[in-house]
Amino acid sequence: MNSIALKMLMGDKLKYFGLVAGIAFATMLILQQSSILVGFARQTGAFIRDTAQADLWIMDPQVRFSQDQVPVRGTTIQLARGVPGVDWALPLYQGFLRGKMPDGTRFTMILVGLDDATLMGAPPVIADGTLADLRRDKAVFIQADKPEKKLMMKRGGNRPLAIGDRFSANDQEAVVAGTYRGRESFFWEPVVYTTYSRALQYAPPERNSLAFILVKVKPGHDLQTVKAALEDRTGLAVRTNEEFIKLTADYILNTTGILVNFGLAVALGVLIGSLVAGQTFYNFTLDNLRHYGALKAMGVSNSQLMGMVLLQAGTVAVLGYGVGVGLGSMMGWIVASQGLAFSMPWYVPAFAFTAIISVCALAAWLSLRQVFKLEPAVVFKA
Amino acid sequence: MNKPRFSQWIVPALAGVGLSAMLMTVAAGDKTFPVAAPLAQPARPPFADTVSGAGLVEASTQNLAVAAPLAGVITRVHVVAGQQVAAGAPLFTLDEKPLAADIAARGANVQVADARVSEAEAQRAEADEQLAKVRSLADPRAVSREEIVRRETAAHAAASRLKMAQAALAQARAQLKQAQVDYDRLTVRAPVAGEVLQLNARLGEYLRPGEGTPPVILGDTRTLHVRVDVDEADAWRFKPGARAIAYLRGNAAISVPTTFVRIEPYVTPKKSLTGASTERVDTRVLQVLFAFDRAALPIFVGQQMDVFIEATAAAGAQPPKPQS
Amino acid sequence: MKPSSNTPAVACKAVTRVYGEGETAVQALRGIDLDIQSCELMMLVGPSGCGKTTLISIIAGILDKTDGACRVFGDDLAAMSAAERTLWRRENVGFVFQAFNLMPALTAVENVAIPLLINGVPRSQALERAGEMLARVGLDNRRHSLPSQLSGGQQQRVAIGRALVHAPRLVVCDEPTSALDHETGHQVMDVLRAVAAVDDRALVVVTHDARIFNFADRIARMDDGRITDITANAAAREAVPA
Repeated sequence: MNSIALKMLMGDKLKYFGLVAGIAFATMLILQQSSILVGFARQTGAFIRDTAQADLWIMDPQVRFSQDQVPVRGTTIQLARGVPGVDWALPLYQGFLRGKMPDGTRFTMILVGLDDATLMGAPPVIADGTLADLRRDKAVFIQADKPEKKLMMKRGGNRPLAIGDRFSANDQEAVVAGTYRGRESFFWEPVVYTTYSRALQYAPPERNSLAFILVKVKPGHDLQTVKAALEDRTGLAVRTNEEFIKLTADYILNTTGILVNFGLAVALGVLIGSLVAGQTFYNFTLDNLRHYGALKAMGVSNSQLMGMVLLQAGTVAVLGYGVGVGLGSMMGWIVASQGLAFSMPWYVPAFAFTAIISVCALAAWLSLRQVFKLEPAVVFKA
Repeated sequence: MNKPRFSQWIVPALAGVGLSAMLMTVAAGDKTFPVAAPLAQPARPPFADTVSGAGLVEASTQNLAVAAPLAGVITRVHVVAGQQVAAGAPLFTLDEKPLAADIAARGANVQVADARVSEAEAQRAEADEQLAKVRSLADPRAVSREEIVRRETAAHAAASRLKMAQAALAQARAQLKQAQVDYDRLTVRAPVAGEVLQLNARLGEYLRPGEGTPPVILGDTRTLHVRVDVDEADAWRFKPGARAIAYLRGNAAISVPTTFVRIEPYVTPKKSLTGASTERVDTRVLQVLFAFDRAALPIFVGQQMDVFIEATAAAGAQPPKPQS
Repeated sequence: MKPSSNTPAVACKAVTRVYGEGETAVQALRGIDLDIQSCELMMLVGPSGCGKTTLISIIAGILDKTDGACRVFGDDLAAMSAAERTLWRRENVGFVFQAFNLMPALTAVENVAIPLLINGVPRSQALERAGEMLARVGLDNRRHSLPSQLSGGQQQRVAIGRALVHAPRLVVCDEPTSALDHETGHQVMDVLRAVAAVDDRALVVVTHDARIFNFADRIARMDDGRITDITANAAAREAVPA
């Protein structure tokens, strides 16, 4: 009976391809939108992941996301160092800063200042130069990937900022000494790395200027215990990398409306997919109702019919899903190669699969109702 | 069965390709990056319970900014930076020419005064002789009364002039001596034995006392002190005499045990700290001095160190134990 | 258990059938008494709406009668559950439809194999037996043709093959020739007589195609839900070559 069911399915090529294409389209839509949403969520944590040499971040309790500027007192570092279980504690500056390129192009950058002595918190890969170059006078590092998008000189320079260029950061001279590679960030502004003391020099004067303290926990000490002790001693918020990533993602996704927008897009994908796939499959079954009637007359039981319909639905679901995830993945490669948000962890295709199977199950159920309702006697009504 | 037709295998094939593309994408995951290694290891607390502070290295005599007592142009510099000098050794000399001329003039004055004394002595001797002559005459009527009185007066006057000339001589000598003292002050000398830490005195520069950078910073560097700023919030955890270990910035593998010297009893606003060039006062700190042997470290005065001080176990933070 | 030749294959007594209820109720069958013997080709003829399709539906076990008694091979279909009737049909009944009702996606041999597959015969065996069946209906060379590649007569022969492949004891045919021209209709009826009306099998053919009346053993004429008369067609056996 199964071979009959499959041949029925594939016999009408137009309907068959239509079914598979409909489900593939729905799958692709769900996969694509979910992946972009996940990609955005991941990108919001890019800076934290790039800087994840430490276990804990000490910050002001009012910090809402990783690029928020709520500085704390400088001596907090010394307090943190005195907490039992702390292996080391180092400062990290981060702040938005205005700059001017050699040709006069104005731009806004995210300036990151690393502890002068250790340069802890450096970007993952130094593309050009070595990390030690950051210790040179006025040295800063810029991103190596696609500088023409974020660091283009548009007022006559007509090229992106490159090594050796001097630009002004808050009206003070900075020299590009190297380039780095890191994760794509949700924030559009280019991230510029320099040392902590130089960052303070560039930054507009403020009473406090220490953005974050990176804390490493001594091996053998419990992270949560140390975290609680640090909170107690400093009176500030202490977060693990994961907590900080989650905080940032939650804040950005909610305040920007990305979550709602892409959530709607995913829901729309499921809805359109349901309509297209469900409608096509339902029509397919109705068109074949005559044959189901004949089979019923010939003594095919309802459970066998159910098996046939479910096999057909399952087959188009799996095939359409396969084609759809392929298309979605390939579109993802294109999107990702452009540096846009796209991230497909295992649960995205799993979610898409669940959605598609549910849609097909619904369509199959609706179809089966028609088949079950069918009186075999209709076969004699020509 | 018939051989599979195009339409029968194309869709499963596409689905297979699609599934593998998806699996590849999932397996590839996000672009991953290694965790960057820091350039140097940060200092790690050596004690179970520590008070941490940023320290500034200084000489055991503290860093002495040697001042010039007078204004003037620098004509000679006797030392180079880094030189070990004995107490009293000359450091630099201001322009001596005006004072040298003054000394010569005053020397001449002494000679003049000296000559005047000789002259006055001669005149007094003559006056005394004249007086003696008339007094030795047997016949008082041989000389008039008036003549005797006149000669007596002349002898008095000569004696007075001699005294005056002698006083003038003493004054001229004192003036010469004063000029010589001023001359000596033009050469600035080391107040203690130590190392020339900074030399700002350069030939030909005009020096005004109490203005600008000190011309010479001097200090005893055989033993170094590190002045540690302890946050006031942590100050209660510090007990005088506690052990402390200082770590070199940039290479935490280099460290040195230190001995407690003293506490600056007055808690001051934080001044020199974590490398921030535009340091702003944001807290008050207790300054503690620790000494260490210079030979133990490749370190220089003025450098920053991370210092970890052993703290008494956080007793104060715990509620007091009830006595049983 | 082979029924003896003197018990009828189908025995209907006062069978009635009403469609709908109340005012709109339609009396389709108004008391049918009909016996059909094994090894007999019974034709039901009459104008449209006379109830002949309803009657064969009840005989074939795909429609419930309203009243009366109907035993097929001694089994009371009304006493069976729907599932039992499905199983009974699966073994005992073969169908030939006016519009052939072949699966367009299946080849001739696969279409013929359907009843065997329904009965749980393994696929390879089913295809083999279906192939033999196709040979018997004269389509040995068209095994792998799709229905769309066959003429109407060939399609109906495939349908006959499908109706007989599982050796049912009752075959019901609904207007088997109405979609075919005269000559093809005759060919199809030749095949039906030669292949079906053997082995104690009962055939019921509903038709109003007078050209094929000669193929019947008996002809039951119906009008307005009743059987008006039953005539034996003695010439039938002789008229058709075996």
